Amino acid sequence: MSDHPAIQVERLRYRYPDGREALRGLDFRIESGERVALVGPNGAGKSTLLLHLNGILPGEDRRSSLHSHTHTHTRTTEDERSTRGEPAIRIGGLAIVDRNLPEIRRRVGLLFQDPDDQLFCTSVIEDVAFGPLNLGVSRSEARRIAIECLERVSLAEHADRAPHHLSFGERKRACLAGILACRPAILVLDEPTANLDPRGRRRFMALIAELDATILIATHDLEMVLELCPRTILLDQGRVVADGPSPRLLSDQDLLEAHGLEIPYSLRSRL
Amino acid sequence: MSSDAAARISIRTRYRLDDRVILLMMPAFVCLVVLLPVGQARPLAAAGVVLAFAVGLSGIDPAVLLRRWLGLTAVFGFLAVMVALGRPERATLGLGPVVASILAKNALALTAVLTTVHVLGLPRIVRAARALGLPDVPASSLLVMERYRHVLGEESARMLRARRARSFRRGRNLDWVILSGMIGLLFVRSFERGERVHAAMLARGWNGSMPELEEDSRR
Repeated sequence: MSDHPAIQVERLRYRYPDGREALRGLDFRIESGERVALVGPNGAGKSTLLLHLNGILPGEDRRSSLHSHTHTHTRTTEDERSTRGEPAIRIGGLAIVDRNLPEIRRRVGLLFQDPDDQLFCTSVIEDVAFGPLNLGVSRSEARRIAIECLERVSLAEHADRAPHHLSFGERKRACLAGILACRPAILVLDEPTANLDPRGRRRFMALIAELDATILIATHDLEMVLELCPRTILLDQGRVVADGPSPRLLSDQDLLEAHGLEIPYSLRSRL
Repeated sequence: MSSDAAARISIRTRYRLDDRVILLMMPAFVCLVVLLPVGQARPLAAAGVVLAFAVGLSGIDPAVLLRRWLGLTAVFGFLAVMVALGRPERATLGLGPVVASILAKNALALTAVLTTVHVLGLPRIVRAARALGLPDVPASSLLVMERYRHVLGEESARMLRARRARSFRRGRNLDWVILSGMIGLLFVRSFERGERVHAAMLARGWNGSMPELEEDSRR
């Protein structure tokens, strides 16, 4: 992945089946090792974009599109599409097409906003081991990895517990352990600190800060952005409105107010 | 990992080896009890002693089992009377002893089932059944259902609380029109959650079958 950007998005558009246009031609790139925040008002397209980065969206659309191309063109379809100016997402240089999905999903760990969506197994350890088992790791190795990741998020004590017996913050950390177990190079986090109490938020932020990976965080928590992410991308109505250093972008009152955000408290006092 | 956590995992491992045996013993015991002759106290007492030993080993509070059985007594009592009326033993023993005998058999069978469920819990029962040949699709469905039973329970409790907070009824019961609307809404929410769960499974490389971490249950 060294020569390629970790994430490269070109002319990305997406319309939901109900006709609502969620993404209207996004272009950006994130280099390997960067920590980037994705901010914007509700409905800006943040979560939709994150689902694209893991190949979950556009789902059937991508398949039908790919099939139509593979029927009419040769195997270099992706390169051809790129030169023709068609939308593309590349993860470490790898295009998101069906044949690359297992590798894309190994590279990109996606943390969902609601931990109950992500913890679908009957015990915490099974849930954390789910990813490695799907990647073809042996059961004993998957168990070892799961315990190691649970220790990393201070949940080894709860390995055998049912997810509904954990607190909200513990469930969030269990989700993070489930993602770390896949050893992703890129972490894509959807509202990681939402609904956490201050202690849980602080703990989760410390965990994120320790991670050695490319990180993209979609969030409304602008204080966290200032602390963890040197760069911010502002998204509104499916478009990239601004992209730049977090302290500069988040202190631009007119820009933030125009897009439903406000200056974080810690910056307000300096203005 | 602390010694407590390690101990818990070792306890699971020890029991896991016996899950299939426990699961097979339960229906075997129930069949045996059903086949015992009506009106004969000694075989029933012997089965009761065996079951009491199993309950003692399991560590379940007998009061819990008794409460659960008593909750169903009215239904079982009615059924026992109906069955007893058609039994030939009624002519020689009388209605009372036959009803008591049927009720005793029922109590033993139900206690055996409750004890098994209590000792193993649904996830281990499903894994043991899977190891005994239950196909992957119903097994996985049952496990996911067990996980989301609690989530949906919490969600419906929140909906009920919100409804009560905005209503001016004195009683706690809601009428059928409101309840049916809430059940419909819960169904829609469950459907949406199902889509999100599916996306979360895909995000971690799910390829259509639920991988099993527990090695021993497959042996």
